Amino acid sequence: MDINIQPILQSWPFLLKALMMTILVSALSTLLGFAIGVIVGALRTYGGRFANIVLGFYVDSMRAIPLLVILVWTFFAFPLVIGHSINAVTAGIVGLGLHLGAYVSETIRAGLTSVRRNQMQAALALGMSPFQAIRTIILPQAVIRMLPALGSLCVIAIKDSAIASVIAVPELLRQTQIVAGKTFRPFELYTAAMLCYFILCYPMARGVDRLYRRLAHLGSS
Amino acid sequence: MTDDPILIFESVVKRYGDLTALDGVSLTLRRGEVVCLIGPSGSGKSTLLRCANALDPVDEGRIRFDGHEVKSTESSVRLVRQRMGMVFQNFELFPHLTVLRNITIGPTTVLKLGHAAADERAKKLLAKVGLSDKALSYPSALSGGQQQRVAIARALAMEPALMLFDEPTSALDPETIGEVLSVMKTLADEGMTMLVVTHEMDFARRVADRVAVFDKGRVIEEGAPQEIFTNARVARTRDFLSHLGWHGEGAASVSKREEA
Amino acid sequence: MSFDWSIVWSSLPRLLEGAWMTIWLACVTMLLAIPGGLVLALLRLSRIRALAMAATGFVEFFRATPLILQIYWVYYVLPAYFDVQLSQIATAVTGLVCNISAFNSETFRSGIVSIRQGQWNAAYALGMTPANVFLRIVAPQALMRVLPALASTWVSLFKDTSLVSIIAVAELSYVSLQIRAETYRILEVLTAMAALYWLMGYPQAKLVDWIHHRFKVAE
Repeated sequence: MDINIQPILQSWPFLLKALMMTILVSALSTLLGFAIGVIVGALRTYGGRFANIVLGFYVDSMRAIPLLVILVWTFFAFPLVIGHSINAVTAGIVGLGLHLGAYVSETIRAGLTSVRRNQMQAALALGMSPFQAIRTIILPQAVIRMLPALGSLCVIAIKDSAIASVIAVPELLRQTQIVAGKTFRPFELYTAAMLCYFILCYPMARGVDRLYRRLAHLGSS
Repeated sequence: MTDDPILIFESVVKRYGDLTALDGVSLTLRRGEVVCLIGPSGSGKSTLLRCANALDPVDEGRIRFDGHEVKSTESSVRLVRQRMGMVFQNFELFPHLTVLRNITIGPTTVLKLGHAAADERAKKLLAKVGLSDKALSYPSALSGGQQQRVAIARALAMEPALMLFDEPTSALDPETIGEVLSVMKTLADEGMTMLVVTHEMDFARRVADRVAVFDKGRVIEEGAPQEIFTNARVARTRDFLSHLGWHGEGAASVSKREEA
Repeated sequence: MSFDWSIVWSSLPRLLEGAWMTIWLACVTMLLAIPGGLVLALLRLSRIRALAMAATGFVEFFRATPLILQIYWVYYVLPAYFDVQLSQIATAVTGLVCNISAFNSETFRSGIVSIRQGQWNAAYALGMTPANVFLRIVAPQALMRVLPALASTWVSLFKDTSLVSIIAVAELSYVSLQIRAETYRILEVLTAMAALYWLMGYPQAKLVDWIHHRFKVAE
């Protein structure tokens, strides 16, 4: 088996730009997903029955439909509903964010409900308002418990951004395909892309684990 | 009791990294004898039990059980364990099995005893520890004292030649300690050979034939309970006993909970 | 803009055939990835360092890279460089099984590790063989703790089968995208595809919630 890294050396500026796009798409979809997730998670926990049912439907639907389907629908079908086209990067970020947001909200909700009821009562007994109690007592404990799950969601966001290649977002996988097709060196290019993703994701997963181990005792009431 | 030794520790050394848990322990247990190991926490008593049935391999020295050396080869270890019952501080009943199945799983899987025969054996043992009505319960439905009595029955179901007890009452509520100790006393009266790690000084004084005092991985004193508890020769033994509030024979020595 | 939903009804047989392939892929993958995960978990817990490290490397690699890329990699690299000729379906199953096995192995490993050492000791003290200790004492207890995570992985897998459409395996996504290309009824066909996934996936998501609730480990 002969290995030829010439194509990678020749097209590295192109691939580097693609890597930057991967990072950009991951970061923005993570931001969007976390914003959606915190709001939906909090509303489902504290917002009463109606909010819980409506938002629950959104969350469970996102858990039921593949990300590829959501992305394809957002990019190809949604423009027909609104009557004008969306660019691929925007569609990608929105689709990824909507999908991720459902999972973030589940994590947030589990975290909020896992803090024992007595903690809330202890806070109220000190004369705090319910909002103060959530902000200063419940949320900080919940966040520490949620860290591992939220960390792995960040890793998932990076990995999932590769699926945006199916709607031609010029991210790492998409551009790797292009170079691989032109140079007929799929082994070298796909392996290089694999390593890039690994280098992005693996330290992140490990880092969150380590951070959590250092903070875990603060979250165990 | 006879002069026939069943378990012999010869200069046993056990290290965990930098820590020397056992620092040359020699001890002999004769058939039918009850020996209690006492001493401060972390002095190596429990380690000695785990070495006896090779749950922990020893680093130096030898252990002989019934004339054969306890080696850490897979098959010989299993033969030793089949004949040596062990009772753990935290009971370690199997939570996914009923009380009856907890007792029969050893005989059926290890001794290849039929289910009917194993059930019968288990029922006799449950009657002996006073828990016949709990045969079909799961461990989570039992109190700590009841769980520990089941654990004793589980070990006895293998018809062992020797029983090891690793602080069997340390994890119990005070009101259930008595029921476990009285089962152990009955066993001792029936002539079972027992090696018991305990903090129950009354039990040691009344039931043991011999007491060995551990400190920092060594046996610092060994003798009949009367000698140790009334007339310890070693200063550190006296220190240890007085820390427990023991001031010789008579003073606070009759425990109320153990009257039964 | 006018929509013609009749295209959905006329294409329904093909769509259902695709859906059937989706279900088949998920089932076959899980059936292979459960033993696969178990083997990887036991290798990682093995005392032979080289085996444990190789298994760890495999698991960490497949967990930290995108599945869609793994599928491309298997598709292009195995035939071209290792002279392994696999059909498209076999390629898809290979990629999915490697990925899901890696996730399952973490599930199994944490289930096994969550059974405390005392349980192993108590079983060993009865003279049981290591195999018996694992099969009769550790595995049954671990299974209860592992079920919720396995159920979640199942639902992810069900959705992830859509990714093998990129190598032209005729499951629901691929079939839908084909019909879209043939008919240009983009909105109708893509909406029908999403609805079919929803119909299959929604009850599964609910079932997972129930399993999580039912088998939650009391701490």
